[in-house]
Amino acid sequence: MSGDHSPESDEVLGTRLRAELRRYAAPTSLRAAITHGGAPTPRRAMWLSPVLAAAATALALGLVFLLIGPRMVPADPVERLVRSVVAEHTRALMWGARRPEVIPTALPWLTQESGIGLKKVFAGDDHLQFSGAEPVYLEGHRGIALHYRDADGHLLSYVVLPIAGFPVPDRRRVQIERGTSRWRPALMHDSGFAAWVWRQGDLACFIVSDMVSDADVERFKDYFVRLRISTDPVPAQ
Amino acid sequence: MASDEFHRLALEHLDALYNFAMYLTRNPPEADDLVQETYLRAFRFSHRFQAGTHLRAWLFQILRNTFLTFYRLRERESALAEDGVPTWDVPMFHDAPEESSGAVEAHTDLERALLRLPEEFRTVLLLAEVEGMALEDVARVLGCPVGTVKSRIFRAKERLRGLLQDYTNK
Repeated sequence: MSGDHSPESDEVLGTRLRAELRRYAAPTSLRAAITHGGAPTPRRAMWLSPVLAAAATALALGLVFLLIGPRMVPADPVERLVRSVVAEHTRALMWGARRPEVIPTALPWLTQESGIGLKKVFAGDDHLQFSGAEPVYLEGHRGIALHYRDADGHLLSYVVLPIAGFPVPDRRRVQIERGTSRWRPALMHDSGFAAWVWRQGDLACFIVSDMVSDADVERFKDYFVRLRISTDPVPAQ
Repeated sequence: MASDEFHRLALEHLDALYNFAMYLTRNPPEADDLVQETYLRAFRFSHRFQAGTHLRAWLFQILRNTFLTFYRLRERESALAEDGVPTWDVPMFHDAPEESSGAVEAHTDLERALLRLPEEFRTVLLLAEVEGMALEDVARVLGCPVGTVKSRIFRAKERLRGLLQDYTNK
């Protein structure tokens, strides 16, 4: 029925559609499958399993990626800094300081390398033992890291970076009082570590540890006070 | 409506549904799957069917919706040309034969022209002209007002006439 068609009216076209188009009858097998099967299982189910398997694999890969893959970089600059400080802390935790030096002999070298001077520094006591100091370079800032270890083996990293106007997140602030002294550092968490974050003049200060439980937080407050009152970092001239 | 009675009445439309499925998919295995899926859904949701309404239109509606659902899921839109004419070498269902050898070829210019129409035009002609459905039922299947069905039929025929003219000129 090809060729030789002149323009035709709607009616003629409709008639042609009814008369000339082939009609396909349902195959016997299909009729039998629907009739005897009642509610037949469509063949779609055959590919559903591979699709589900693929989805499960993708989910598993996603989980692996989340666990061991690179972490998303936070948009907030403070959180980004905390993450870097925590990364420095974990590096020290795993491999120790790159060039552990003993204060006070290393102070001139540290000041020169880090750009941070220490007018006074906490050198350890019965609770915290000084384990090393080193210059660091985090998020584009030279700074200093002091590492301490407590009697239970917890490592504390005290990191100071020269960042003028560092914004301490108000909603994370925790009030700590000792006698007449009072501080309001922010307590932040990242990657299973806790960090005190505060500003001291034009310096951003961090103390990181793995003490995250409620009981640990009280001790962590105590360590903050010990380090805070006994250390006085200033930008090096 | 009793389940057996519903099954019996629904199966009366099997050939018409299969014919419609063939013109939508142009591939017998895919048409098989589409019709089976349609009946599966119809039986499963038979309680939603309102006795006294047009069972035939309801079944066609399920079939078309199923077709469009799978069509979109498979991202078949990417296989569409600008004029909405699908390419038939991609199976609609995954277990359909990979090669297009199973696809049924159009034998007449009228068939070829019909298959070149966008789905909405092809469907409206198949339902209204070939199946002889009332405009109200076609509107129900397509989920649009009767006025839209009328204008779509008009435009579909215009397009079909143009395609037939092209074949004549060739």
